[in-house]
Amino acid sequence: MSKIMTVDILSSIKGAQPSEAVNKLFEVIKNANTTNNNTFNHNHDHAVSLDHLRDDVVIDSPQIEKQIIIENFPKEKNGFLVVSKVIEE
Amino acid sequence: MDSQIRKIHHQLVNKEITCTDLVQERLDALKQNTNNTVNSLLDTSALDLAAKVDAKIANGDSIGLLEGIPFGIKDVYMVQGTYTTASSDLLKNYKSAYTATAIRKLLDAGAIPLVKENCDSFGHGSSSENTIFGAVKNAVNSNLVAGGSSGGSAVNVAKDYTVFSVGGDTGGSVRQPAGYNNVYGLKPTYGRISRFGLMAYASSTDCVGPIAKSIEDIRIVLNVMSGKDGKDQTTYASAEIPQNGILTSEDIKTVGYFKNFIETDAIDSQIKSDFLAAIEKIKAKGIQVKALDFFESETLVSTYYTLAMAETASNLSRLDGTNYGNRIEGDNLKDTYAVTRSENFSEETKRRIVGGNQLLSQGFSDEIYLKGLKLRDQISENFENDFKEVDIIISPVTPNTPPKIGESLKDPLAMYLSDAYTVGFSLGQLPTLTVPKGTATGLQITAAKNNDELVLKFANFLKDTI
Repeated sequence: MSKIMTVDILSSIKGAQPSEAVNKLFEVIKNANTTNNNTFNHNHDHAVSLDHLRDDVVIDSPQIEKQIIIENFPKEKNGFLVVSKVIEE
Repeated sequence: MDSQIRKIHHQLVNKEITCTDLVQERLDALKQNTNNTVNSLLDTSALDLAAKVDAKIANGDSIGLLEGIPFGIKDVYMVQGTYTTASSDLLKNYKSAYTATAIRKLLDAGAIPLVKENCDSFGHGSSSENTIFGAVKNAVNSNLVAGGSSGGSAVNVAKDYTVFSVGGDTGGSVRQPAGYNNVYGLKPTYGRISRFGLMAYASSTDCVGPIAKSIEDIRIVLNVMSGKDGKDQTTYASAEIPQNGILTSEDIKTVGYFKNFIETDAIDSQIKSDFLAAIEKIKAKGIQVKALDFFESETLVSTYYTLAMAETASNLSRLDGTNYGNRIEGDNLKDTYAVTRSENFSEETKRRIVGGNQLLSQGFSDEIYLKGLKLRDQISENFENDFKEVDIIISPVTPNTPPKIGESLKDPLAMYLSDAYTVGFSLGQLPTLTVPKGTATGLQITAAKNNDELVLKFANFLKDTI
């Protein structure tokens, strides 16, 4: 697919347009000076070590949690949770 | 020590007040308040919990320090069975299925949640006007904004409706409203408190932060909420900050401030002169003060908003009305997503999502997003170097006093720029506390990463100095 995606499609927001205020922020970044050293990982040191990975186990949710998740579902019909019509394209 | 928590604890233990009366009184005050701080009251559960505390005391059982203490929760935290709206139309009927770790720890310690508090929708704003529950009004002057995004939380504390509140700080959302309403507000080191159950805005700077009327109360609540959590892998284990550990500040020898924050036309002249007067008082106590170079405010604000928008566009992409939220049916699935999001997000939220998707798209990501990340690294490096020179950095919280309600929404760029003094510390993931001292909107105290204790120490020093 080589379609050009506009921001309204990318954002799933009808009629969305880039904003002037936000574009001004982007201009500042484009024009900023960055040094060329390779210090790129300063803020990314939150990786978890292999020893501290969570156990790969399935934890069953409590009944109340399941009940609230069902309550939050936007649409229900004859005991089934209903999603929107899936696109065929 | 002027701790509200300790004072109420003693009153409860000595049977001077009952927990039920205390909770009822605060609930009544919240119900009647005209500052628009309340999204929903948790009255039934709060009174049930209060009755249990009273029964314990009547039975002669001992109670913990936080047991029976009423508090507020910004409406972006999951608390099982409560409405968690993020002040948005999309989630106005959404109920939390589980409870956030930070809140769970407070509940386990016996604190009693009274209220889900008004805020800018999804944390998108600096004034708490971007909300479906009506603009939050400033605690001192109701014609002015409360600040944001944790505006309802700061006002509730300032007005004594809650003893403390739990806000969320991504770019200043605890510190700025704390400054606007003359209370304390802490953004801890990133990762000190688990984000599990906090609705994600910009995950790399989102922090859980307490708001209270004293340094001691901030310390108590911070200690309870801190700690490693398997459900948030960015958390780290931290030592408890002892009460007597923050009473002296002999180890603080050098304080720095960013001269470009002060030597600019963008700062209110009174805030500037008050800040400089505060610096003189610190010097008079024998502490060395250094003026430091820093990035231009425009660069800080642009870097923060660029990265925050990219992250919020990704985080909020899950909100499409499929599994939860106010779904509005369209012609098909894609149309349903688009109509649901278009109709239910505020203008500011849409602006940030669109900005984020714009800068992450092909052709933009290299020159904006990746460059923004690089700038962030340089900002962090700058901080690392600064903290080799100074123990503490002090700055104003905001360049100006709170605007009138209605002004911020007209000019989003001006609103973004009003965050100039808070966003840098967010990008650096540094512990920063607003103290209601020094200038009309307070002062910020910042230390190196994981050094939250030093921030509280210096706050105590300032309390006696200014």
